[in-house]
Amino acid sequence: MPGMNEQDERMRKFKNKGKDAAAMRRQRVEVNVELRKAKKDEQILKRRNITITLEDRLSPEQEKKDASAQLSLEEIIEGVNAKSLEIQLKATQAARRMLSRHRNPPLNQIIEAGIIPRLVEFLSRNDNITLQFEAAWALTNIASGTSDQTRAVVEAGAVPAFIDLLSSPHMHISEQSVWALGNIAGDGPLYRDSLIKCNVIPPLLALVSPATPIGFLRNITWTLSNLCRNKNPYPPLEAVKQILPVLICLLQHEDKDILSDTCWAMSYLTDGSNDRIQIVVDTGSLSRLVQLMANPELMVLTPSLRAIGNVVTGTDEQTQSAIDAGVLAILPQLLRHSKPTIQKEAAWALSNIAAGPCRQIQQLITCGLLPPLVELLDKGEFKAQKEAVWAVANFTTGGTVQQVVELVQSGALKPLLNLLSARDGKTILVILDTISNLFLAAEKLGETEKLCVLVEELGGLEKIEALQTHDNNMVYRAALGLIERYFAGEENPDLQPEADQDRQTFNFSAEKQDFYDF
Amino acid sequence: MKEKKGFAKMELSDANLQTLTEYLKKTLDPDPAIRRPAEKFLESVEGNQNYPLLLLTLLEKSQENVIKVCASVTFKNYIKRNWRIVEDEPNKICEADRIAIKANIVPLMLSSPEQIQKQLSDAISIIGREDFPQKWPDLLTEMVNRFQSGDFHVINGVLRTAHSLFKRYRHEFKSNELWTEIKLVLDAFALPLTNLFKATIELCSTHANDASALKVLFSSLILIAKLFYSLNFQDLPEFFEDNMETWMTNFHTLLTLDNKLLQTDDEEEAGLLELLKSQICDNAALYAQKYDEEFQPYLPRFVTAIWNLLVTTGQEVKYDLLVSNAIQFLASVCERPHYKHLFEDQNTLTSICEKVIVPNMEFRAADEEAFEDNSEEYIRRDLEGSDIDTRRRAACDLVRGLCKFFEGPVTGIFSGYVNSMLQEYAKNPSINWKHKDAAIYLVTSLASKAQTQKHGITQANELVNLTEFFVNHIQPDLKSANVNEFPVLKADGIKYIMIFRNQVPKEQLLVSIPLLINHLQAESIVVHTYAAHALERLFTMRGTNNTTLITNTEMAPFVEVLLTNLFKALTFPGSSENEYIMKAIMRSFSLLQEAIIPYIPSVITQLTQKLLAVSKNPSKPHFNHYMFESICLSVRITCKANPDAVGSFEEALFMVFTEILQNDVQEFIPYVFQVMSLLLEMHKNEIPSSYMALFPHLLQPVLWERTGNIPPLVRLLQAYLERGASTIASAAADKIPGLLGVFQKLIASKANDHQGFYLLNSIIEHMPPESVDQYRKQIFILLFQRLQNSKTTKFIKSFLVFVNLYCIKYGALALQEIFDSIQPKMFGMVLEKIIIPEIQKVSGQVEKKICAVGITKILTECPPMMDTEYTKLWTPLLQALIGLFELPEDDTIPDEEHFIDIEDAPGYQTAFSQLAFAGKKEHDPVGQMVNNPKIHLAQSLHKLSTACPGRVPSMLSTSLNTEALQYLQGYLQAASVTLL
Repeated sequence: MPGMNEQDERMRKFKNKGKDAAAMRRQRVEVNVELRKAKKDEQILKRRNITITLEDRLSPEQEKKDASAQLSLEEIIEGVNAKSLEIQLKATQAARRMLSRHRNPPLNQIIEAGIIPRLVEFLSRNDNITLQFEAAWALTNIASGTSDQTRAVVEAGAVPAFIDLLSSPHMHISEQSVWALGNIAGDGPLYRDSLIKCNVIPPLLALVSPATPIGFLRNITWTLSNLCRNKNPYPPLEAVKQILPVLICLLQHEDKDILSDTCWAMSYLTDGSNDRIQIVVDTGSLSRLVQLMANPELMVLTPSLRAIGNVVTGTDEQTQSAIDAGVLAILPQLLRHSKPTIQKEAAWALSNIAAGPCRQIQQLITCGLLPPLVELLDKGEFKAQKEAVWAVANFTTGGTVQQVVELVQSGALKPLLNLLSARDGKTILVILDTISNLFLAAEKLGETEKLCVLVEELGGLEKIEALQTHDNNMVYRAALGLIERYFAGEENPDLQPEADQDRQTFNFSAEKQDFYDF
Repeated sequence: MKEKKGFAKMELSDANLQTLTEYLKKTLDPDPAIRRPAEKFLESVEGNQNYPLLLLTLLEKSQENVIKVCASVTFKNYIKRNWRIVEDEPNKICEADRIAIKANIVPLMLSSPEQIQKQLSDAISIIGREDFPQKWPDLLTEMVNRFQSGDFHVINGVLRTAHSLFKRYRHEFKSNELWTEIKLVLDAFALPLTNLFKATIELCSTHANDASALKVLFSSLILIAKLFYSLNFQDLPEFFEDNMETWMTNFHTLLTLDNKLLQTDDEEEAGLLELLKSQICDNAALYAQKYDEEFQPYLPRFVTAIWNLLVTTGQEVKYDLLVSNAIQFLASVCERPHYKHLFEDQNTLTSICEKVIVPNMEFRAADEEAFEDNSEEYIRRDLEGSDIDTRRRAACDLVRGLCKFFEGPVTGIFSGYVNSMLQEYAKNPSINWKHKDAAIYLVTSLASKAQTQKHGITQANELVNLTEFFVNHIQPDLKSANVNEFPVLKADGIKYIMIFRNQVPKEQLLVSIPLLINHLQAESIVVHTYAAHALERLFTMRGTNNTTLITNTEMAPFVEVLLTNLFKALTFPGSSENEYIMKAIMRSFSLLQEAIIPYIPSVITQLTQKLLAVSKNPSKPHFNHYMFESICLSVRITCKANPDAVGSFEEALFMVFTEILQNDVQEFIPYVFQVMSLLLEMHKNEIPSSYMALFPHLLQPVLWERTGNIPPLVRLLQAYLERGASTIASAAADKIPGLLGVFQKLIASKANDHQGFYLLNSIIEHMPPESVDQYRKQIFILLFQRLQNSKTTKFIKSFLVFVNLYCIKYGALALQEIFDSIQPKMFGMVLEKIIIPEIQKVSGQVEKKICAVGITKILTECPPMMDTEYTKLWTPLLQALIGLFELPEDDTIPDEEHFIDIEDAPGYQTAFSQLAFAGKKEHDPVGQMVNNPKIHLAQSLHKLSTACPGRVPSMLSTSLNTEALQYLQGYLQAASVTLL
């Protein structure tokens, strides 16, 4: 309903009138629907194990043999149900191989073949580790598919079996189980929570030790991150508190994959209400996260920036912790990063810091954030410019007059006014509100006239005038408001909205009401 | 949603169709006596079930084409009025009809001839706006299926409808609902649209020799390109990112395409080819602006194609939109640092300057025509910058864009052009004058980096010597004896002075002034208008210490000729209501001040004649406004030197004013009231009887019904009260209820209540107390009712000022008594609920002072505050007063009130035009009585404490907070008093 949006919009504007800075902080998700391609820089939800295993690589002749002994689906069905252990293994292996194919693995055919229950049974075959392993692998790959495909695995009862296998004495089996459980957890909050209910966390955490091989540790980290992931609902607080200490350790690791997934986990944990953010803040890990924002690896930088970005959506105190951890020193280089998505995320974080009280705005100025912000506003890619506009808007809402003056002196006005020709109504509206804030500051300094001249010189007046014909009601009203208030000319009409009256005669009379109570 | 209890039903019968046909026919009758009843009848039956279906039947099957069209228009208007279901209002169309309409309208639209198709397409988009997608799930599939039809008339119908449904994606804000809808549309529509796009392009080459087929196909392509823009506006959809290659490659090809069969002979109207290319430029600009990262690989190709397009496109008006869109695209790209390299080559720059910029700056035949025959439009475009879409303007923007990185080279290239164009002109001015025009335009656009209406150019390109150009090339034209020769160049020259007035040294401006005055006599409307405007702008320039740059001493030799030429210019055909000239008159008066007095008799005669003439049919609001300002200035300047002159102005003006009031010239009445207020205030003694005779008329309700009248009427009544309160009390006491009635009317409105308070404050301040005694209680009852039922921040602020003014005038005790006589303990309630918590919101120096003095009285001159239950409010009230002195003003407004002025704003045309030169001086009713309210508080407290020793310090020490106490100590010290 368009009416609703308009109201929300107006509410936001009022909050910006000065009081409620928290309301200006913008959480990550404004719209749940996405038109864009899923982002390439997001962490992967589910993974299929398609790597060639050690044994395959070591014995090319076996590979050949296997290739010749490729089984049909019918043969596989028959095979897994056969009595002979050898045939079971052969069939399972064949199924696993099909599922590990690089292109078009036949996940659905395997599911429809109805062999999943058998594969799950094989998971408990402690007598035959090879069979156990092959089954675990096959199931991992099925679980890496769509939600329906993952469900097929879960509903066959694989979860308890995999959790048991975490404690298998054989590392490759326990590792495969970690992987499978990661895929299941990655499906969404429902399975994530059912895993947690099945007590997956303690045995999983028990696998982490200084001796854990790096590859294994990567898998564990990834699975842990999936256990932290997703909203609606968030993972239970208890679980988060169990996992966090381990994540904090992993955060000290040097491996970039481990760091990346750990940071992703931190970003999920901070992507929520302020009490969730607080739990992360309390671990004292913000300085490490900030440090990682300077990491040369994009895969580490992206999630750490995101985590800190989430933290600064929190309360003033939480934001202050991020500032104390040094975020303002790193942001300039990120605002100037070569990748637009990084610029955008950095500007988003900055916009939320600018939504804070004026002492935080002052820190932002002191740390030299204005020049890169203005550069971004001027030359950034559009999505980064949009965030930069928000940063400026919030700045002008919460900043003192002196701070706003500094902003204007850093040259923010020109690029801001240029963006009035952006093809995005919301951005335009935010800019118009910002201009209105600038005028409020100028009024306090008695420099309205000067600002009028500046806005006109920079071509802003013309753009604002043109916006009076904008199709969006709120935009045109905001533009009209500015024109009437500040640019109506020296002796142009002072426009006063008037309301209608219904009475016709002016008989002066008044009757007292029963009881006044104001 | 409430369903109206049952819909009356009309049968879908031939008889009803026949009746409807009759009535529809009558609605087309020029005679209102026939037309109106028919319209009324249709309105009365439109609530019946089947009514819309009868219309649809008629528009499909009627024998008469005119009835078909009429039925389709009636149907569309019916849908527009009734389709939306408003909460808490009855559903105006029965569900069965809604379903039937939605089931039939698309095929019906597609099979109808174009005239009807358009109406139905509009109706579909109105319905779609409400029902799509949830309540009209089949619509998309129904439309997409038609793409297969191969019939491009049908396809274009679908595309047009889709365009009207989707174009709102270009301006609505991102929201879950909106994006869900877009996603749905993309899923169903994007692929078929892409396939249609490809198929259409193929068909274009198959039918490359078939003009009529091409026209239809190109109409489709235009609509497809528009749909592309709408669907890609909010964000880059996954589908279009994946298919960017297809779309962009084809767009690129289309940009470079030409086909003789599609070229039109029409010089003015853009053809299909131009419209399509223009839209493609827009699409490319959208991608370049918003999706730069993804679009980067394609961008250079588009730059080249668009540039080539520009080089090969002719000068005809029909290409204007295309050319300006194309130039704007280049202008926006060349400013981006990472595309700098596409332009930086000297050859590229030269050829852009030569082939794109210079040709588009030329003065064209169409411009020449406008200059002569449509000067108003020409002036608006050239002077006021409403030239956003013109070629010259686009070329100018490109110059500025290029100058961002290449100012030196670009200036160099153009200097060469300017010189050669000036040489061409010098060879044969009467033939080559257009070359000089282009040269001046080029210099102007090159030199101006920043510009405002008020100051002209404020930042100039330092590489251009503006004064030299002025002296060598502009002044000679203006000095030539014949003011009517080469009018375009004269206008250019005058404009040059105007916009570079801050760059050209003052002595050059002084040389120019007589030249400009001389050109007020030019016959060309543009030339004398520009001369007037230039003078007006020069007169507003500020010199050092904030005086005008041009002084009236410097103007002394020119006063007579200036005034003569200005008024003479108003007699040129086409300039009789020229706002620039009238504004220059106003500005000249304002600058020249007493120097105009000798000319006033003649001036005021000419102004009143003009006023009389235009009051027959006021059509130029700005002209009228400046005319009234000029009248006010004449009055002010003259009466300042000679107060008695007011009588002669009244003599000259009242006859015209009376006529304006009698003929009810609505546009002028607010002005008349303001001039009258000014004249009335000039009187030092008793109010003249002529004004008193008018007084009863001012209270007539009809005047107050017009919102534009309210502020000037209130102002006029205030002037009456200020000058003649005692006369009113003695000679017009019977009019006091009517006066208060006006107050009552105003106070009832959230928008006008402050005006009501202005009036009330004047009544309380000036009227003798005994004459309003009997009404005082009623006044407060009215105010309390507003407080009770609909208080707003604005009302409370005004209320606080009034209550305190009342307290000052009548005493604190009287205030307490009247409150408590209305309802026991009322005084305490107002203090506690209104005054104490809200006083911080009062704004304005005088208003704050009134409140401070009033509250001081309540604290120190109101015995019940000391010895009744009100005593507990004493310290909080004092604290609030100290807050008023010391704390920043509370300018917050409760959330719910932000909606008030939006909801109540009735639109902006009911404006009140305030005259600057009829302005009211700020009035301080407290005046000298209290100079410093803080000291006054200290002294009053001291007096109170001597009357009841010990009480005051003990009340202070119990509950006043420390900070407030400190401030108070400060006041006491400053007043050198102590509290006993």
